[in-house]
Amino acid sequence: MKNGMNLIKTVFFSEILKGLYLTFKHLLAQRVITEQYPREKRVLPDGYRGVIVHLRYDDNTEKCVGCALCEAACPSHCITVESAEREDIPQKRYAKRYILDVTKCVFCGFCVQACPVDALASSKEYEMATTDKRDLIMDKEAMLKLGDQYFPVRAKRPKHSQDRYDFFKTMKQTEFPTVKKGAA
Amino acid sequence: MDLAIRIGIVLAEIAAVLGVVLTHVAYLTYMERKILSDMQDRLGPMEVGPHGLLQPLADGLKLFFKEDIIPTGANKIIFSAAPILVLIPALIGFAVVPFGRDSLVIGEFEITPYITDINVGILYILAFSSLGAYGVLLGGWASNSKYSLLGGLRSAAQVISYELPLGLSLVGPILLSGSLSMVTMTEAQGGGFWHWYVITQPIAFVIYMICAIAETNRLPFDLPEAESELVAGFFTEYSGMRFSFFFLAEYANMILVSCIAVVAFLGGWQAPFSFMEFVPPIVWFLAKVYFLLFFYIWLRATVPRLRFDQLMAFGWKVMLPLSLVNVLLTSIVKYFLNQM
Repeated sequence: MKNGMNLIKTVFFSEILKGLYLTFKHLLAQRVITEQYPREKRVLPDGYRGVIVHLRYDDNTEKCVGCALCEAACPSHCITVESAEREDIPQKRYAKRYILDVTKCVFCGFCVQACPVDALASSKEYEMATTDKRDLIMDKEAMLKLGDQYFPVRAKRPKHSQDRYDFFKTMKQTEFPTVKKGAA
Repeated sequence: MDLAIRIGIVLAEIAAVLGVVLTHVAYLTYMERKILSDMQDRLGPMEVGPHGLLQPLADGLKLFFKEDIIPTGANKIIFSAAPILVLIPALIGFAVVPFGRDSLVIGEFEITPYITDINVGILYILAFSSLGAYGVLLGGWASNSKYSLLGGLRSAAQVISYELPLGLSLVGPILLSGSLSMVTMTEAQGGGFWHWYVITQPIAFVIYMICAIAETNRLPFDLPEAESELVAGFFTEYSGMRFSFFFLAEYANMILVSCIAVVAFLGGWQAPFSFMEFVPPIVWFLAKVYFLLFFYIWLRATVPRLRFDQLMAFGWKVMLPLSLVNVLLTSIVKYFLNQM
């Protein structure tokens, strides 16, 4: 009996008919999984880690203090920070040169976590394709520009810092001890 | 003068049929890609023209301007001749296919809906379609590549084993209509779909469909060009126009076997019911051919490729005995019907 049923199934191609029914269902469903990429772009999740960018405060001053903790945290050694003291405010440092080599970057976001002043952020920029590899070695200006584009809402500069500037300004006039004067 | 006009009419008919067939071949690739992608939840070609409608044109242009490479060690003459040897038999079969019913009469000249009606039409098509296997085999051999050679050998084995049941399955309609001519065969199936030979010869129809797929090297019988095993089979080494000749031949063969199936089993240009005869016969013919082509693509999206020993076993142990039994039964029934 069972063999008879199997024979009938084989003769009438029941397995193939089942498969044909399945593919026909998909034809009628008109469901599309693929995306027409350059025309349609998918919405990226909030935690997406794209190219690392620099942020600014609301008064257009950059946040980075040049501490180079990002350089220390970077697992692929793609960040180079050259820190210097600011001319106008003593004991205040900034990144004189900041180089991010996107060709080496693994987009892990460790630098963002390491930053003590929240100067770095992961943008949603992923279309970095270029014919010149040198375009991918970004300096601070390029990173700030990208940051302006992706983070238009800026954090307020902490209020107390203005008092500190004033304090240092008065101290500088009265021979502040850390001002290097022939010190080693 | 009279002869010149007659020759001119025939030439114009040949040009028209060739033009229509080649356009269909181009857009069959588009149809195949679109249907396949729909069945696989994709979009398919979308870039060139609205919904990718100009894609076949772009593909053709690309193939036309590509460099023509003849590999070192290849036999140049046979290598160049093989694609033509495949393409010509695929196109030449359309000469006897009746596309419609009514002839166009202008003065004393008659433009028939077929190029010629020879009284051995089906035999002629079968003879030429087996000639195409030589092109495949020679192309595979002349390429001086192991993939091509394996593809060619497989193709030869496959075509030989499936041509027998293919021919035998067509014996049924030939016996019933009592003619080898495609035109007479179509006319014998007039007056409703229950006169079509797909009703009286269902086994022959199924055998014919399976063998036709095997003959045209389509999935699930695309072993000669199995891309996961043989790169591209017999045309691995071909490029540019020669490659496109093989490509054209494959799709032209698809259309040709569909046309034969329509003429031999689905009543050709006949309408399924007599009250539906207000629709032009050529529309019925095209609708049936399109349905069969759709079925081929549908099958390609569904069924995986057979193993080679399965293919051979199926061809020799199932298809051949079945078609022989079918021929025997049909002749007996036909004999007793004639006695009555």
